Amino acid sequence: MGTKLKLSGADMLMHALHDEGVELIFGYPGGAALHIYDAIFRQDKIEHILVRHEQGATHAADGYARSTGKPGVVLVTSGPGATNAITGIATAFMDSIPMVVISGQVASHLIGTDAFQETDMIGISRPVVKHSYCVFDANEIPKIVKEAFHVATSGRPGPVVIDIPKDMTAPDNLFEYEYPKKANIRSYNPPVEPDENQIERAVTELLNAKRPVIYAGGGAIASNAEEELFRLNEILDAPVTNTLMGLGIYPATHHRFLGMLGMHGTYQANMAMHNADLIIAIGARFDDRITNNPSKFSPGAKVIHLDVDHSSVSKIIEANIAVFGQVKNSLSAMIKLLETKLDQYNKDTLQPWHDQIQNWKSSHGLNYELYKNESDENPILPQAVVQHVYNITEGKAYVTSDVGQHQMFAAQYYHFDEPRKWINSGSMGTMGFGLPAAMGVKFAFPNEEVLCITGEGSIQMCIQELSTCLQYNLPIKIININNEALGMVKQWQDMNYGGRHSQSTYQNSLPDFVKLAESYGHVGIKVEKNSELKSALEKAFSMKDRLVFVDVYVDPAEHVYPMLIANNSLEDMWLSKDKKT
Amino acid sequence: MIKRKLTLIMENKPGALVRVVGLFHQRGYNIESLHVDPVDDFTPYKFIEEQLETKFKENEISRLTIQTLVSDSLMRQILRQLNKLIDVIAVSNEETTYLKGVLLDENLL
Repeated sequence: MGTKLKLSGADMLMHALHDEGVELIFGYPGGAALHIYDAIFRQDKIEHILVRHEQGATHAADGYARSTGKPGVVLVTSGPGATNAITGIATAFMDSIPMVVISGQVASHLIGTDAFQETDMIGISRPVVKHSYCVFDANEIPKIVKEAFHVATSGRPGPVVIDIPKDMTAPDNLFEYEYPKKANIRSYNPPVEPDENQIERAVTELLNAKRPVIYAGGGAIASNAEEELFRLNEILDAPVTNTLMGLGIYPATHHRFLGMLGMHGTYQANMAMHNADLIIAIGARFDDRITNNPSKFSPGAKVIHLDVDHSSVSKIIEANIAVFGQVKNSLSAMIKLLETKLDQYNKDTLQPWHDQIQNWKSSHGLNYELYKNESDENPILPQAVVQHVYNITEGKAYVTSDVGQHQMFAAQYYHFDEPRKWINSGSMGTMGFGLPAAMGVKFAFPNEEVLCITGEGSIQMCIQELSTCLQYNLPIKIININNEALGMVKQWQDMNYGGRHSQSTYQNSLPDFVKLAESYGHVGIKVEKNSELKSALEKAFSMKDRLVFVDVYVDPAEHVYPMLIANNSLEDMWLSKDKKT
Repeated sequence: MIKRKLTLIMENKPGALVRVVGLFHQRGYNIESLHVDPVDDFTPYKFIEEQLETKFKENEISRLTIQTLVSDSLMRQILRQLNKLIDVIAVSNEETTYLKGVLLDENLL
């Protein structure tokens, strides 16, 4: 045994992060974090990315985490640094994204004195973290870091905060450093392997279903279950729908894929869910944007629910068969058992169901050929912008989005064949997410195409990160679907408030986005005509080493359809402005 | 709505109690009364030590009782949400005990 390393708290923190495999930290310095920032300066193993606002740091770390599956790491100072991070922490929490947020805190002896830049970060973040730690003894820093990463990444993932008072990182107090090999938290033991009885019951239902639907969500992506899901459906040949958070877990171009379901889901996906006799929920949680009125939800269906989180099952919709465990493991167990019973299963029994679905799709499915209309007599349709982007990038790009109409158009018209390529704030619906999230993705995948589909409302909520993109040379493509209004708010006002556009337009106060992009050192392109759209987008994507901001003026009157009619079933949808089911 | 009593065994750590109380507020559950004490006699909780392969030490765990007004359908959800808190070791109502991943069909706390 050699002598152990003697390090300060700040140096132990950096060593621990390195030992945990962290390569990148997104952060912003300030008084209470300065000992840590000095430790960052004195090492070269971990790169620190300086953002322009702490919200940007959390979303960038979030984008990094969603695209790689590895935890995102954030470092902020106390007080405003900590509170600015809250929106991004809540965003990660609501979508179950692994993240570790380290916040500086005023020195221990000042806590509770209303000291400069003091805020109760543990208290303020408590409802939006999976767990949190405050460091009271610098010796415990390695153990706390180990535990924090374990909690953030295991079970149902989520953000974990480590609040560190400044004196815990002081350079003159040295400690023997050793990084624990394993986190041992006796009161934390998320399920991994499923119960065999439940698997047997589930498989029996699968074999007997006439109208099954596989409904897979973000939990299936978190569990990296794409191969298992694909294999399961090679056997079953059932229709598959994905939630907004689950897009990509099943190939969107597969002939059994129904599209997204829910509030703005496809007609065939919602109809199939409503009329199913068996729903196989895989890492999805029957969110209110999926079920519409739960009492009218899919009246004839039995529900098999696979989830790692006990509290997600039978919360909204009662499960007939609950399968707790990592959904990857649960799916493997189901496949293994199914493979011994193949003689009891005949895919052809589903044919009437497939025919019914094909009918629904033919009658009211989405039109994927809107991009073919290049006439300048019509305004640019936002859907056509997404279709062009899909064609130009051959469906292979990482796509981040903000929140609103453009987000739904992106989800409907960009077909994701792989998981972790669609990066959006699903549950929290955080405007301002798209650009910093795209930065996080680009840091993780510098050689891949990364684009952000946004709107003129959302992009202005974290526009300052254009400066970060210049500093680190991040050639992201920003597609600004500009309808000169808060489109989704306006759509609701059109539909539910007699067209009274209360505070949803800007009255000619929008910036010139081309000049704005240029002033940040990037390229800006403005598009106002259908005939120019395709060539402008092609030009943008041809500039491989530049960030290009494409400002596309679209039809401001366009709405997102289908749209569920509130308090009804999944069968009740608006299909256009004047037509409902 | 029926008055129900919940019992929790949790880590005696700073902030643990506020996580429990905060959860009730956050999820819209109601608290009629609440009582918390450090546990000094571990004999009733031997089954937890065995299940979790651990040994409790003095002042390490607390016992918390909460009276709450809930519907039956919400009861299970409250138990599962409490069980999910990292500092909560076990939680029970009159009929069941959640001991982390394990569901036991009686009140053992």
